[in-house]
Amino acid sequence: MRRPISLYGLTFSLPLLIWQVLFFVFPLLFLVALSFWTVKNFVMSPDFDAVNWTTMYDRAVFWQAYGTTLALAAAASVLTSVLAFPASYAIAFKMSETTRRWAVFLMVIPFFTSYLVRVYSWQIFLSDNGIINVILGGIGLGPYQMLNTVGATMIGYLTLAFPLVVLLQLFSLVFIDRTLIEAAHNMRCGRLRTVFEVIIPSARTGLVIAALFCFILAFGDFVSPVYLGGGEPTTLSILITDTTKSGQQWPRAAVIALTMIGTLMVVAFAAVKFAYKGKSK
Amino acid sequence: MSRDILVSFEGVVKSFGNFIAVQKLDFEIKKGEFLAIMGSSGCGKTTTLRMLAGLEAPTKGVIRLSGKPINDLPTWSRDTPMVWQSLALFPFLNVIENVEFALKMRGVGKAERRRRAEQWLDRMQITEFADRNISQLSGGQRQRVALARSLVVEPEILLLDEPLSALDAALKVRMQSVLKNLQRETGITFVYVTHSQSEAFSMADRVVIMSRGKIEQIGTPQEIYRTPRTRFVADFLGSSNLFSGQVRSGTSGFELDTPMGPLRLAAPAASGESATLTVLDTQTHLSTTAPAGNVNFVPVKVIGEEFVGATATVYLETAQGQEIRVQKGHDELAGLPLAIGQPLYAWWNPEDGHLVRES
Repeated sequence: MRRPISLYGLTFSLPLLIWQVLFFVFPLLFLVALSFWTVKNFVMSPDFDAVNWTTMYDRAVFWQAYGTTLALAAAASVLTSVLAFPASYAIAFKMSETTRRWAVFLMVIPFFTSYLVRVYSWQIFLSDNGIINVILGGIGLGPYQMLNTVGATMIGYLTLAFPLVVLLQLFSLVFIDRTLIEAAHNMRCGRLRTVFEVIIPSARTGLVIAALFCFILAFGDFVSPVYLGGGEPTTLSILITDTTKSGQQWPRAAVIALTMIGTLMVVAFAAVKFAYKGKSK
Repeated sequence: MSRDILVSFEGVVKSFGNFIAVQKLDFEIKKGEFLAIMGSSGCGKTTTLRMLAGLEAPTKGVIRLSGKPINDLPTWSRDTPMVWQSLALFPFLNVIENVEFALKMRGVGKAERRRRAEQWLDRMQITEFADRNISQLSGGQRQRVALARSLVVEPEILLLDEPLSALDAALKVRMQSVLKNLQRETGITFVYVTHSQSEAFSMADRVVIMSRGKIEQIGTPQEIYRTPRTRFVADFLGSSNLFSGQVRSGTSGFELDTPMGPLRLAAPAASGESATLTVLDTQTHLSTTAPAGNVNFVPVKVIGEEFVGATATVYLETAQGQEIRVQKGHDELAGLPLAIGQPLYAWWNPEDGHLVRES
């Protein structure tokens, strides 16, 4: 039997519903429509032609950028998760209640500053005449090229996602039943082994969701690949700006954007499914 | 040191900051016995168990396992498996993987650990649940998984921290006999922490009663029931009537001077000492007239009655306001008028009284 929709429930869910329809569903539908428009002499006109889809999907550049973006985002989520885990582990298990609160507060502070500003400040560190090369030069090393490399792009992704990943991991770690850890120790499972045998399996949902967030952020990021990676190799976000700038090809950009959204949906769905695998309600 | 001592606590103290959880424990656990450590919450019983498991380090003193001091041995280097109150089963592993866990940690091969785990599933009658998730099991089934998981390594000692407290009454009784039989068949030393007198007394060979971090009494259930060592123990067990007073030597032997008058004592005691006379409620009798002969009696009034299956408990009150309980079979109470307010005499033979020191 269907439950009647209550006015009370509607009152509170309606603003969110309207918001979602106005700013997500509607633009998404528009984007789909846009991808079938045509451009002649730098003028877009409404149409229903699959030419944008075939043109983009026939280009090697598109698939290269797609592969690069996927690989970078995957690498970023693995790297960030691996680097964040010791931090969240220490905060969850080795700190007192008070210290833990401070640590959480410190993890929130980076969000006070714009991501763009934080990326620009990395340039000061990483550029050829930057702080790191000056210091290395002082002891007779370098200079090394650090800016405009994939490594620099990764540093940018870390800057973007690290605090969030730590917080998400932390929330799953603090809810682990401590007696499970004691029980493992009691059954001859040493400290390090307990991390892999008990703590990671127990926190799996949170760890996977944290990695997923990092993937989503890195997959769509434009700032790091451009300002730290120097636009090389080309990512999908860079390809979108290039496409719109060259000859008003908004419909082709829409094809890229829709492909990105589709990919993220598949990845997110798979990740959530994996995160909750074997958990019955 | 005797051969049949498995564990000894020697002057063991445990404090958490300013709080002293356990003060100076000195006792021994015999090989192959079922020992229950009993007390109300906060008495230090769980801390004692956790120190034995290696989950807490003693502040002072020595704990020995098979004669060797184990104070500095971390829990993963001791063979002291424990069953938790919450059972602490791993929710991300299925039943058989849970049971195999300890074997896997010991480096036992895949085929061998599967075989041994299956043996224990069979023994605990949970073979059919081998591939289930923990969340799909009932309370009793989880209990069996937890026991199998701890016993699969065939340890010398098993520590149990109130494992039955979450079960309903009927299941509790069934699991008690499962535990007792398991202990008898395997010969493994069981150390069982509980706040429940019925659990401790029905399963244990010996019972340790703790209060405020100290041992009040160690003995067989019979010894503790019949001859409590302190007033605390008698009070805690709640199956005796207690009379406080001062010992004096009267005209016909020793007496305890109480607000209800002098009560005769069967055995000599130190004159002038404050003491408590304990009389089991099953050995306290009722009559309508003052009993004659060499007995102690107190005039009382009926204040209530309660039926407990085959027996009934009659609640009475002395003129001084002290409550007295009498527990009897229904036929023994048949002839007595038990209306509220009815005056009666509560009496007992001095031989059934047991004198304990105050506190």
